[in-house]
Amino acid sequence: METERLVKAAKQGDKTAMVKLIMLQKEAYYKLAYVYMKNKEDALDAMEDMIISIYDNIYGLRDESAFYSWSKTILVNRCKGLLKAKNKIRVLAHKEEHAHTEEQAYEGDIQQKEDRLLLEQYLSQLNQKHQEVIRLRYFLDLDYKTIADLLKIPLGTVKSRISTGLNKLKECLGGEEHARS
Amino acid sequence: MQEVEKILNEEKIEMDQIEVPVELEERLSNALKDKSVLKRRSNSWVTKAAAACFIIILVGYNFNTLAFYGKRLMGYDKVMNGTLKQLNELGKGQVIGKSYTFKNGVVLMLDGIMIDENQLLAFYSVKGPESSVIDSSTMSEYLSIKGMSRTYNMQSGQGEIDDKNNEVKWIASFEAPRFYEKTLNLEVDLTQDNILEKGNITFKLDRDKAMGYTLKKTLNKTLKADKTKVRFESITASPTLTVISGSIQNIFELAKDQISGERIRPNDIEVNLVANGKEIAGQGGGMSTNLNGIKFHKEFDALPQELQSLQIHLKSFSIDRDVNKQVDLNKDDENKRIQIEGQDLEINKIYESKGSAFITITTKESTILTRVYLDVDGKRTELEETIESNLIKQKDGIILNTRTLHFPKTGEDYKLIIERMTYTEAYNKMIDIPIN
Repeated sequence: METERLVKAAKQGDKTAMVKLIMLQKEAYYKLAYVYMKNKEDALDAMEDMIISIYDNIYGLRDESAFYSWSKTILVNRCKGLLKAKNKIRVLAHKEEHAHTEEQAYEGDIQQKEDRLLLEQYLSQLNQKHQEVIRLRYFLDLDYKTIADLLKIPLGTVKSRISTGLNKLKECLGGEEHARS
Repeated sequence: MQEVEKILNEEKIEMDQIEVPVELEERLSNALKDKSVLKRRSNSWVTKAAAACFIIILVGYNFNTLAFYGKRLMGYDKVMNGTLKQLNELGKGQVIGKSYTFKNGVVLMLDGIMIDENQLLAFYSVKGPESSVIDSSTMSEYLSIKGMSRTYNMQSGQGEIDDKNNEVKWIASFEAPRFYEKTLNLEVDLTQDNILEKGNITFKLDRDKAMGYTLKKTLNKTLKADKTKVRFESITASPTLTVISGSIQNIFELAKDQISGERIRPNDIEVNLVANGKEIAGQGGGMSTNLNGIKFHKEFDALPQELQSLQIHLKSFSIDRDVNKQVDLNKDDENKRIQIEGQDLEINKIYESKGSAFITITTKESTILTRVYLDVDGKRTELEETIESNLIKQKDGIILNTRTLHFPKTGEDYKLIIERMTYTEAYNKMIDIPIN
């Protein structure tokens, strides 16, 4: 009830109500952004962009109770957009660095052979659509239905993407384990 | 198999520990702060249809007006000052929209011009070939405008480069074209990596768009202080600019001083223009010495629309003057005060070290001994360097400069020879300009 009242106020242009709506679920929003952006500053930037986008578009939201799923989709899209822009900038730097990253890879391996780091490395090598479902499912503990709503894809697709992603991860990790032993 | 899920779960535990930053709420509020009042749009087809009809009616009946508003210069907002923005809003510019492409792919686009009594403003952009970068260290362009009988030179300009370093938008000021000019030719010399290429754009002047002047007055007022006279000759205010011109010496005075060895070289003249009790922002100025004597002009922003009062405030005048003064020094002089041309000069101390003489002096910050020698036992010694300069602000706000002059010679008798000196004469005088 409270949510719907706040959404109505926000629709009238009440900025405080809008901030309050987000703050009521601040953890869910922040972690969602964090899972994509992987650092605090970028996550906060994405949330800023999100609230502006919400403010500009909330008049079109018919069903007040759908506010949270609607706004989280906006956040996810914003994060993806930011990541895309970021990747574009990094491409060049990456190529130049390539020569010595190979050397450092060995050194890095010896220093921190923690599986988690390895996981992050392999995860980021996966197709974006596979890694995002895995992150949402496992890191944020969201259920399939929520993920489907959030990403606006069918439930079946979520399931198949998660299982494909997991299999690929296992292949990568398993392969590495094999080589090491 | 479970390995992966185990690691994934560890990651989740990590994730659970992440805390929401405390600044989140503030950042969200701030993000919304700049947002203006919510736009509300209706999606019903009735309003859409109504709006469409309305637009058709508007366009149909007011085509001329729309065309007029359409003729604004776009994309120059960042380079324009407030006055120019307003004029642009009013469609006061003449849209040209012609371009020239150089062999290296650089395109110079003349978007438009604005003309009034004081200047011709050209709005143009220089764009590199697709996604290339404009590097001002290897590329430069020089513009001039050729009229029927004479060339109008560029006087000033300012530009803004875009985020991709691919395009620069410029506003350049040229002398105002004479009244008889009809067709002008913008000539561009583009130099890249020391290779010069000439380009040009020809355009017709639309005199209907010229803005003329809002106030033009002959002043002929002379202000005198100490030894110098400053004469204000005229003020011309136009919609884009206000120019005050005047002179300091005519050619006869200049010649007379030159012969008597008391020549003055003006450095800067500080003038404020006050309209309706408020200072108008200064935009530049210049000074020249030639056969016409010493002339100056000062440029200010345009005058306000409803002008009630207008004053010129001559604050100060900085000149470099031949003074030819000798000061006898005693080696044990301490804090000796002398006056030259009404300016205080304090000789703090004199000391010798390693075959050199050092003289510490204090003057106002604006006072500089521009040509100074030390006479050592009848021999003229040049200044080697000035060291240990110290600026001290006094309670009355005047800044004093204490420094030490180093002359590479010692002897018995010292005389300081000051041939030239730069200083600022304070005037603080107002001229009221009648408005009718």
